[in-house]
Amino acid sequence: MIPIALKQIIAFTKRDYQRWSSYKTTVITQIINIFIGVFSWGVRASYVQRTVTEMYGSDYISFLIVGVAISNLILPLVQGVERRLNPWTLETILMTNLSTTVFVIGNVMWKYIFSIITFVPYLVIGILVFGAKLNVNLTATILAFIISAAILMGLAMVSSGLRIVTKSTDPITWAINILQNLFSGIAFPVVYLDTIFFPGVSTVSWFLPQTWVYHLCRLSMLTNPNLLDPGIMVQYLKGLVFALVLFPVGYKIFQWGVLRAKREGTLGHY
Amino acid sequence: MGTFSNLLESIKGTKGPFIEAISGLDLEVQEGEIFGILGPNGAGKTTLIKILCTLVLHDEGEAYVRGYDVKKEPGKVLNNLQAVLPGSRGFTWRLTGRQNLEFYSLLYGLEDNVAKKRIEYLLELTGLLDRADDDFQRYSTGMQRKLLLCRGLLRDTPIILFDEPTTGLDPSSAAEFRSLIKDRLVAEEGKTILMSTHNLSEAQGMCDRIAIMDRGKITACNTPDRIRYEMVDENQFNVAFHETPFTGKHEVMLNRLQEISGIQGVTPSIDPTDGLQELSFRIDKLMDLSVILEVLLNYDLNIKTMNTMEPTLEDAFIAITGERPAVPRRRVRR
Repeated sequence: MIPIALKQIIAFTKRDYQRWSSYKTTVITQIINIFIGVFSWGVRASYVQRTVTEMYGSDYISFLIVGVAISNLILPLVQGVERRLNPWTLETILMTNLSTTVFVIGNVMWKYIFSIITFVPYLVIGILVFGAKLNVNLTATILAFIISAAILMGLAMVSSGLRIVTKSTDPITWAINILQNLFSGIAFPVVYLDTIFFPGVSTVSWFLPQTWVYHLCRLSMLTNPNLLDPGIMVQYLKGLVFALVLFPVGYKIFQWGVLRAKREGTLGHY
Repeated sequence: MGTFSNLLESIKGTKGPFIEAISGLDLEVQEGEIFGILGPNGAGKTTLIKILCTLVLHDEGEAYVRGYDVKKEPGKVLNNLQAVLPGSRGFTWRLTGRQNLEFYSLLYGLEDNVAKKRIEYLLELTGLLDRADDDFQRYSTGMQRKLLLCRGLLRDTPIILFDEPTTGLDPSSAAEFRSLIKDRLVAEEGKTILMSTHNLSEAQGMCDRIAIMDRGKITACNTPDRIRYEMVDENQFNVAFHETPFTGKHEVMLNRLQEISGIQGVTPSIDPTDGLQELSFRIDKLMDLSVILEVLLNYDLNIKTMNTMEPTLEDAFIAITGERPAVPRRRVRR
């Protein structure tokens, strides 16, 4: 017997898949984007040809390919709910008495599945064409993905809750996303910031949730970490703290946004 | 026991320009009735409907749906009530009508086999069965409205709210939709309907009772007929004549008629060639018409026709709100 919450999440996923697959041109262009994207990053990384000695002890191609693949996982998750916040849809969905968690997870699930599907060709092309070398611990990777999903859904709920009130881009998510580009280490290890700017500046990075997503995924896919190693355990625990704080905070902010919009009578407003 | 009861003090925004959509509203709707909310734009009709379906929270006062507080027990309220809001809200345009309903049936938590039967029944009920597997984007406005109704009925709640149910529909689709609500949902399934509308003939034809809202307050609440009679003090009495040249003595007659107690005004219709054609009287509702006829007969007038026009809901609406409704209605001849 499938629990109703799971059925509801599947319903959202099925709906989004059906809608996505009905736009044939979009399907084709998205597939092309994956290939062009991975080749573009691969060529750049080949040109740099540097060893990332600072953090993961891997070559730059492997570091970058994993980073870009993860960034493709992150973006749709944060945008997933936000882009579905059509006020008319929101009113209708709220009248079904659906739980907030199901609403959020349901709205991002297809995006997440699609991101995971695109994650694979990124890695395959990275390995086969550009010689990227992965050193994966599967358990650690799954754990990193779970922590990452909780962090990103927390962020998605923060973003959505604020957006329901502001009706436009919310300042908090905007700031986090802007800072992510510089501080989260998509294309370089965050400690390199200390060399470029001044010592200690990379501390900012560790306050950004996305940094932990990149860091844990890279740890698990590039260094084959031993989860029982205290040093590694601390890294995962820090990421977990982010998830444990951000997810309930996001949940509260989403509910606050809905309640405030109901009180102001602006739930159905753009 | 009342299906709804409201005692709403106010609903207002906490920022921006102060909005007080509803104030001091006291209303109760009985089970199995069609209750209409009439009012000019901005009267607070939609706000009231959204309060009842938990999409807007009121600041003060109380609102109950079958005994459940809409503010404190929204889940239980939504188990008893669904709303059909205008527009094609929440449907995925590139999915079929059936796929859209299947999606919502899962959100409502219906079991697969129950949902399947229910969807089939509703598609049949609304006449959409033949087009159920067409993309929603291919649906006409009338079909989209029917699918909205199907969605509102998926959960089979005893109460359905409609906000402007026939706005945007062509006359035959609107008539079909009205019949669906009145004959199927209410007469056959015993549902309670609360609907807001601008359309006075729709309200008069469908509603057991209506409330007229103006600036967030209920200014009248009764059956459409009682509102017509109670809110308008006057009837209109028309007398048409065969060819009668209008002369000085008729001027005197008009003055005499104006002085009769119970006559609020007399308007003659005079044609330059044919003379006096018609007299239109605004009279007190209980006036004895023989007093008028007595005077007319004294002036050798050949009466062709006579009729009394009762006040319409439009007259009542104008008398109450001072505004003309969006869809005017002709007076009813008797």
